[in-house]
Amino acid sequence: MITFKINGKEVQGEEGQYLLQVAEKYGIPIPTLCHHKALDPAGMCRICTVELFDGRRTKFVTACNYPIWEGMEIKTDTEAVHQGRKLIVESLIARCPDVPLLQNLAKQYHIDKPRFKTEADDCILCGLCVRMCERMGNSAINFTGRGVDLRIDTPFGLQSDVCMACGACASVCPTGHITLEKINNAFTRQNPFLIPSEYEMGLNGRKPVYVPYAQAVPNTPAIDRDVCMHFKTGGCGVCAEVCQMDAIDYGMKDETIEIDAGSVILAPGFTPFDPSKFDNYGYANHPNVMTAMEFERILSASGPTGGHLTRMSDHKEPKKVAWFQCVGSRDMNKCDNKYCSSVCCMYALKEAVIAKEHAGDDLDCAIFYMDMRTHGKDFERYYNRAQDQGIRFLRSRVHTVVPVHGSDDLKITYVTDSGESVDEIFDMIVLSIGLEISPEIVDMAKKLGIELTDGNFAKTSTFKPVETSREGVFVAGAFQGPKDIPQSVVDSSAAAGEAGALLANARNTLTKLPEVIPETNIIGERPRIGVFVCKCGTNIAGVVNVPNVRDYAATLPYVEYCSDNLYSCSQDTQDTMTQIIKANQLNRIVVAACTPKTHEPLFQETLINAGLNKYLFEMTNIRNHASWVHKDTPELATQKAKDLIRMAVSKVALMEPLEEAELQVNQVAMVIGGGISGLASANNLAQQGYEVHVIEKDKKLGGQANNLFHTYKNEDIAKELATLVNAVETNKNVHIHLNTTLENVDGFVGNFKSDLLCNKETSTLEHGVAVIATGAKGYVPDEYAYGKDDRILTSLELDKKFIQKDGSLKKLNSAVFIQCVGSREPDRPYCSRVCCTHSIDNALELKKLNPEMAVYILYRDIRTYGEREYKYQMAREAGIIFIRYDLDAKPGVQIKDGKLLISVTDHVLGLPVEIESDLLTLATAIVPNKDERLANFFKVPLNEDGFFVERHAKLGPSEFATDGVFLCGLAHYPKPIDEAIAHGQAAASRAVTLLAKEMVHTSGNVANINPMMCSSCGVCVSVCPYSAPAFATQGRFEGKAEINPVLCKGCGLCVASCRSGAIHLKGFDTNQIFAQIFAMNEAV
Amino acid sequence: MTKLMSIESLQNHRDFIKKTRTGQGKRLISLCSGSGCGAYGTPGVYDELIKELNRHGLQDEFDVKLTGCHGFCEKGPIMVIHPEGIFYSQLKKEHMAEIVEQTLKNGELVKARLFKIESTKKKVALEEDIPFYNLQERIVLGNNGLIEPTSIDDYISVNGYAALAKALSDMTPKDILDEISESKLRGRGGGGFPAGVKWKTCARFDAPRYVICNADEGDPGAYMDRSILEGNPHSVVEGMIIGALAIGSNQGYVYVRHEYPLAVKNLSLAIENAREYGLLGKKILGSDFDFDITISRGGGAFVCGESTALMASLEGKPGRPRAKYVHTVEKGFREGPTTLNNVETWANVPIIINKGADWYSGIGTEHSKGTKIFSLVGKVVNTGLVEVPMGTSLRTIIFDIGGGIAKGKKFKAVQTGGPSGGCIPEAHLDLGVDFDELSRVGSIMGSGGMIVMDQDTCMVEVARYFVEFLQDESCGQCNPCREGLKQMLDILTGICQGEGREGDIELLEELGSMIQKFSLCGLGTSAPNSVLSTIHYFRDEYEAHIRDKKCPAGVCKPLFHYEIDKDKCTGCTLCARKCPHQAITGTKKEPHILDQEKCIKCGICYDNCKFDAIVIK
Repeated sequence: MITFKINGKEVQGEEGQYLLQVAEKYGIPIPTLCHHKALDPAGMCRICTVELFDGRRTKFVTACNYPIWEGMEIKTDTEAVHQGRKLIVESLIARCPDVPLLQNLAKQYHIDKPRFKTEADDCILCGLCVRMCERMGNSAINFTGRGVDLRIDTPFGLQSDVCMACGACASVCPTGHITLEKINNAFTRQNPFLIPSEYEMGLNGRKPVYVPYAQAVPNTPAIDRDVCMHFKTGGCGVCAEVCQMDAIDYGMKDETIEIDAGSVILAPGFTPFDPSKFDNYGYANHPNVMTAMEFERILSASGPTGGHLTRMSDHKEPKKVAWFQCVGSRDMNKCDNKYCSSVCCMYALKEAVIAKEHAGDDLDCAIFYMDMRTHGKDFERYYNRAQDQGIRFLRSRVHTVVPVHGSDDLKITYVTDSGESVDEIFDMIVLSIGLEISPEIVDMAKKLGIELTDGNFAKTSTFKPVETSREGVFVAGAFQGPKDIPQSVVDSSAAAGEAGALLANARNTLTKLPEVIPETNIIGERPRIGVFVCKCGTNIAGVVNVPNVRDYAATLPYVEYCSDNLYSCSQDTQDTMTQIIKANQLNRIVVAACTPKTHEPLFQETLINAGLNKYLFEMTNIRNHASWVHKDTPELATQKAKDLIRMAVSKVALMEPLEEAELQVNQVAMVIGGGISGLASANNLAQQGYEVHVIEKDKKLGGQANNLFHTYKNEDIAKELATLVNAVETNKNVHIHLNTTLENVDGFVGNFKSDLLCNKETSTLEHGVAVIATGAKGYVPDEYAYGKDDRILTSLELDKKFIQKDGSLKKLNSAVFIQCVGSREPDRPYCSRVCCTHSIDNALELKKLNPEMAVYILYRDIRTYGEREYKYQMAREAGIIFIRYDLDAKPGVQIKDGKLLISVTDHVLGLPVEIESDLLTLATAIVPNKDERLANFFKVPLNEDGFFVERHAKLGPSEFATDGVFLCGLAHYPKPIDEAIAHGQAAASRAVTLLAKEMVHTSGNVANINPMMCSSCGVCVSVCPYSAPAFATQGRFEGKAEINPVLCKGCGLCVASCRSGAIHLKGFDTNQIFAQIFAMNEAV
Repeated sequence: MTKLMSIESLQNHRDFIKKTRTGQGKRLISLCSGSGCGAYGTPGVYDELIKELNRHGLQDEFDVKLTGCHGFCEKGPIMVIHPEGIFYSQLKKEHMAEIVEQTLKNGELVKARLFKIESTKKKVALEEDIPFYNLQERIVLGNNGLIEPTSIDDYISVNGYAALAKALSDMTPKDILDEISESKLRGRGGGGFPAGVKWKTCARFDAPRYVICNADEGDPGAYMDRSILEGNPHSVVEGMIIGALAIGSNQGYVYVRHEYPLAVKNLSLAIENAREYGLLGKKILGSDFDFDITISRGGGAFVCGESTALMASLEGKPGRPRAKYVHTVEKGFREGPTTLNNVETWANVPIIINKGADWYSGIGTEHSKGTKIFSLVGKVVNTGLVEVPMGTSLRTIIFDIGGGIAKGKKFKAVQTGGPSGGCIPEAHLDLGVDFDELSRVGSIMGSGGMIVMDQDTCMVEVARYFVEFLQDESCGQCNPCREGLKQMLDILTGICQGEGREGDIELLEELGSMIQKFSLCGLGTSAPNSVLSTIHYFRDEYEAHIRDKKCPAGVCKPLFHYEIDKDKCTGCTLCARKCPHQAITGTKKEPHILDQEKCIKCGICYDNCKFDAIVIK
């Protein structure tokens, strides 16, 4: 250690350090222009000059490269130093008047206008680029010339082979003198390129050392060896040098790891279709033709334009944007993807709506499509809203994009519904690209020996939707078939559940139990607070003066120990903290670091390891709240960090150990509904080893599946259903309750008590979880003359005829299907999802029976999503005639002279046609049971259509917000059998996450009622969204409210609402909050 | 030539040379062939002299040597006839017949060729009677007139390499270091850093050490080092060998300007000969000491005279200085401990070893010992190289040795230390020149340049000129030097063109002070000296330029004009005839008229008028 003085204050540095490093450590500001941590100091800009008194005389030395020595005295801001710096800035701003860096410095030094003649340069010759290039192992550029002619250039000003266009020079250039363009034009003969950020879809670049995106898991940077200069030249190595944890290891090699696994789940996802192979859209050549994935990034607040909608070519705000649907989907002409990618209609809609939100209502959004496929839950409503918002929907497939000469605009020609050819110019065109399985995945599938479909998706069967052709290998997500997020989440839970069933016997065989450290009783002890201030590398320490904050924290009341950590969250620091807590007998801990949202549990674990109750802890965020938001004002950031720590200390002193309620989970599941989805759920639960009770109100299992003929994959539903029913019935874990209804439900997660009514007998079932699989029913139409003629059937009725092998079908001369009967209507504005495929399937079946039969399908949009699209194609090939109708011109049905006449306006001819038919099948809607009673039992919500509302539309499709209650099947939304089964499996899988725990711990941060103060007003009971408060029904405090800690989420609503002040929130008690507020006031 | 394998064999060889040379009773004619005299025509003179000697059959009686510079360059070519020391100057080949006939053959002086002392109008025959020489103490330059620089034997004959022999046989490295320390020799390159301290520090660091001779003499008008290298290269080689022996180095470098071809030639030959004699290379004079010298030629960048820039250049990098917070004696050339001294310093080393520290430190002032060679140039009568003991007054150097100001004009200032030096006014002429005194009056010793200025010199223009030179020669890497000098030059140019504004002087002072404090290397820190010293001593001239828009010295063309004083003009017509622009008209014996429109202010009329009738207004 070397001790010396800066500005009269004693400081310490290490042997070999430069003055600037020590000054930085102590937060003493010294300006620099040519300094960079990764580079050896050069002392060129001289702006870091300070005064040195060496014992004999005063000298002027540059702080960046002056080695410290014992006893020297430094003054960083004397008049001479200030004047000199000011004059340097003045001469530089005269040289480069337009450089913001210097403008800021000039402002700092109160220079209005330089006294010297101004030039128009933008290079301050700091040499950072030169030294960085050398550091990169290259030295492609250097200073050329001398004195006033000094320049940065390549030898002889020629483009160089040495320059590898790594861009390091541009990245350190403080003035913008060196840009990638300049590197390209003046420095290198190589082909420079931005390393495309994969996450940003190549719209902007990333570094060779990078975290793929902000939320990446693990959130650890990786080195891209293909572009890293260290791996090219052996130079650089900056990352290893700056990494204070020595985490960089250039010698790491790829490893092959063998894992002994009983089951494999494939979830490799998809690859966005690459439209550059289409020459007609000009995607490869025109920056304003972009893919929807790229457009997503443009709209994203974290994207390359910060969420500002501008086009790439000229950063102009577009006025008109067009979306082209089905690029790389439903296309056998220009590519091989004949399937529908399922998600593009919805995402194009979403992008158009959000684009309008970003750019204002004036933005003209036009979506060019073939069929709008908004068959997901609440999607149709979104589509309707988009139409109301003025988004144009044009049913046309645009052939070519032509750049408009002399501008960056794009011209397209399309044909309207009425057959007119229209030219229109757009600012941007977004290609709604489809989903593809990459060749690597296909290759992997081959190696694994699993079968693929025509579209290269993993082949699965309807009744085993997540099981591949190879036993034990499961699939989830887009590799199973193109699908959206909720469906992928359902799949993943289902696959996990199926794998769990397969490996049920092995459960808990590889589990290790952590050592339980006994908790120290600290009740009645005087607070002994430990404060740990985190530097977070330079994340905090780069702005906040951490040593200063640490020293300040040590002066606060009850603080017994204080230190700073480089990275508080690293494992070794955790271990050290545990030791410190024990050694200093600390009983309250404050960590001033990052956000408790992510790191509080980690530090609480540390407390537990040190034998402390984990609630004797307060975390305060001096990163987000101090160093990030006040990065330009380090002094204020430091002051704020001190304030925050003072608040935290004042609160933690009042913290008491809290208990967490622990309750046992009853290892029994109840599945309500014995339809296909409920059965799938029950089957999985039983296979995973749990006792299941299936409640079916009917006398028979199977639900609606009993009425269905075959799947679109031509599987016999009756046969498959029988197998499933058999599996359930024969499993000894399953108890089936037929003709049984649910009469009441009591209790909560882990401990439900349900009353069952069967043949007028009531019994009580105790169970830990419940799965709602109550299904839905077919719509009974009152339109299209239904019921007035026995030639008019619903789809289910036609299925019945097929099941019964009705001979009359063969004899029909013509058959008509009308789609969207009861669906996508103002009263029922959702798509029933299954009907298009179902009708096409049945139409083909009719054709099979009688190829001469004239079969018509009258539709609004054909929604054969995914590989169902093949069926649509087969139908057209089979001669089935598709006639589109509009909602405002629905087909007419007449029975005239015994003839069944159907009239409709042909969309191609634009003329009304009349079809005489022998059979009219109405593709009727699926309508929910709207079971409000059931919803009330479990306190789960129904949506306006009458379907149950899941926990989260995207990420929680198989469970409810209410703990312990799960959801699957048609009760959630109309869906075909494969999806219903996957959903049932998913619900079971989610339920097992609870059952497997056996015990549930609730948070200690729960509300608590002081019954002495309770006035029994009942406000808390009525406001609690979780039904945690209730009136005691017995005991001393009968009639007073009490809170079930198991149900309480600690939201504080009751605390705020209690007019008697009887309710307190543990861990956030009034005195604790006020202590913080008072501590803050002091600062004001 | 056989290698000298021991100290004895060197001594034997010296004895042999002395015997063979002097034993034949030849008389020595020393003909200066230094760069100055050479340019005046020494080769022609030499040929004619040999021809005449042969014609008279005297060729065996005289040993004619083409020596290095004698210093009195103003009067070249110079011949000195030994042993009497008869001094002939400003020789032409036509004079040879007369000299051979009268002096060499008949022993009579050729009166016309004798040196005339300007002040007394007396003619003197001997070198020792000439004030230019007799006030000097030529301990470094002395041998220049006696030996042929291309002959190692000549050098050995004047006791050359005796110091090395002494160092090798009688002294330990520590003894040498102590001797140099005690001599209080200070570096002649300009900084005046005690050589002994430098050497001793360098010897402390344990890594391959280097010795470097800085021969990148870049000051305009200074040529001391050049003359030593050209005239007595072995003295430098010997000094370096002794230095290397003292600090424990095996490799030396001479960084010499490519513009000094004769120096390079003579030095190369000297090194080659020394190697042949076993004075360089492995096992020098049979000892265990290995040392060799490599010559590296510089491209002529002024800044490469700065030690770190020189080392960078020597390493093959661009010649740019670096901060010397870690001294070059610790980490210099190739990161090794390096002792760098300039030519004159190295040449002093053998003398100190031979004569001892006590003798050496007897010469000079308290803190500056020994002699210093100055390159006396400018508006002085006797330009040339002057070697005087430290502490000799400026007045002695300029007026006694230099013969005062030419053409009877008034002395105005002398600038010492090259372009980065300050200008010293008449008031300080009695200053005894040494390192400390010069810096006390705002100038520097530098490498010994001394430019004398007379009344016709504009001090603002002088400052502008030197700033321009330094701005051109600045490496440009540090902001104060590059940007600061640029702005200074801009302001000075403005002042000289009559565009000076109030506040310019203060801004110049402000800039100068910043550049001195904040610059990276010595070039920058000393660069404002000329400006600051001229402002200090001649502020009125600046003010005249700025406020009155006048250049009192009549140099800055936009700021003066010539007029003809009618009372003084005799109508001799000389000015009218000389005027290149026909700006002067008039009839004989009538006062002439100068047409201001036509006048280009070339000053020819002013210089030629014998009646002081042309006046600067």
